[in-house]
Amino acid sequence: MPHSTSAPRLGDLERVVMERLWEAGATDGATVREVHEALEKHREIAYTTVMTVLDRLAKKELVTREREGRAWRYYPADTREAMTAQSMRRTMDDMDLTDRRAALLHFLDGASSAEIDDLKAALAEVEARAGNGEETARRLRDRLRR
Amino acid sequence: MVPLALGVLAVLLVWVTPAVLARQLPFRHAPRAALVAWQSVSLGGMLAAVFVAPAAVVVLAGRDGIARHPWLVAVGAVVSGAVLLRVAVSGHLVGTRVRAARARHRDLVDIVAEHERDGLRVLQHPTATAYCIPGRSSRVVLSQGVLDTLPPPELAAVIAHEKAHLRARHDLLLEFFTVLHESVPSAFRSRRALAEVRLLVEALADRAAVRTSGEVATARALVAIAESRSPDAAMGAGTSAPVRMQLLVAGPRPELAAVAYLIAVAALLAPLGLLSLVLG
Repeated sequence: MPHSTSAPRLGDLERVVMERLWEAGATDGATVREVHEALEKHREIAYTTVMTVLDRLAKKELVTREREGRAWRYYPADTREAMTAQSMRRTMDDMDLTDRRAALLHFLDGASSAEIDDLKAALAEVEARAGNGEETARRLRDRLRR
Repeated sequence: MVPLALGVLAVLLVWVTPAVLARQLPFRHAPRAALVAWQSVSLGGMLAAVFVAPAAVVVLAGRDGIARHPWLVAVGAVVSGAVLLRVAVSGHLVGTRVRAARARHRDLVDIVAEHERDGLRVLQHPTATAYCIPGRSSRVVLSQGVLDTLPPPELAAVIAHEKAHLRARHDLLLEFFTVLHESVPSAFRSRRALAEVRLLVEALADRAAVRTSGEVATARALVAIAESRSPDAAMGAGTSAPVRMQLLVAGPRPELAAVAYLIAVAALLAPLGLLSLVLG
């Protein structure tokens, strides 16, 4: 599939570059040259590619950048843990509740402790019925065999 | 008379019927048909509202006199156009906001999550959670917590549930209702209706989970994920979990689907029938 390789590859590179920035840390950050030098040890990669990838990450607001002389110094928008926590959250803070619920579809919208007790009771019912079902089926099979 | 009847019908379908329909809890046992009924009622209400002005023009000018009253026709076109414009604008606004939020979330997930086979994304987080990001470039997102907590059949149920959302484009359905919700004047909005539609969509996805893994695994997955979350005080009572569980216990009720489909047909035929009275 030659036509479908370029976009995912760029996505993979974004993650590799981001990894490098997380390693560099939120305070130090890294320039394009520094990221390029680090990556070059493991793979063949063009300086301009690293530049493009960092630019894309900045546009997605996953990294921030500051001028340093004639170059940019890039910083991760936040630590990996914080960004993971952000993507776990059901709420995107700056959005209206109605929109939020249309944007992402969660398996479960949470439950209160009282509800969890009800859920367990209902589960017992489902399990019991399934158990009975198997029991009935087995009895039926036994009878047919005889 | 007919324009007035269309106006009343519009109010009935936009305001009264959703409030009544949202209270017909048995329809939850036939979620697919119920969703069709909901869509038809909304669409029928919109048609009725759009038809009021043309019907009034025909009645006022007489069936043969339309050509002699260009101003009346213009006013009618503006009134109907305003209704359509309102829906179009709110559709554009909701669509833009929702798509932007999804794109942002997808970028974030793609960079922080592990990329698994089948396009699954796994977040390194202990809380058990699963969700999907719908759209043209969709993602199913699982947490490490859910992978660690759920045995394979239950995990398969959760993934089947999320993939059912994506495959059946439930996001478009929810967007459609969100748009209608916002384009109706706020006095006529029914939060309850929107909540009911959301619940039906979840019930429908649960059925896909049952088809994949059976009722027991699906029910266990619901309980396990509900338990893994720290009880959310903000949620209060009335989340979808207990209802979905009850639906799993009760199983489907096909005879109710027929009733829901009848409502759907009636809601669409009523405005068309009334309009044909003046035109025919």
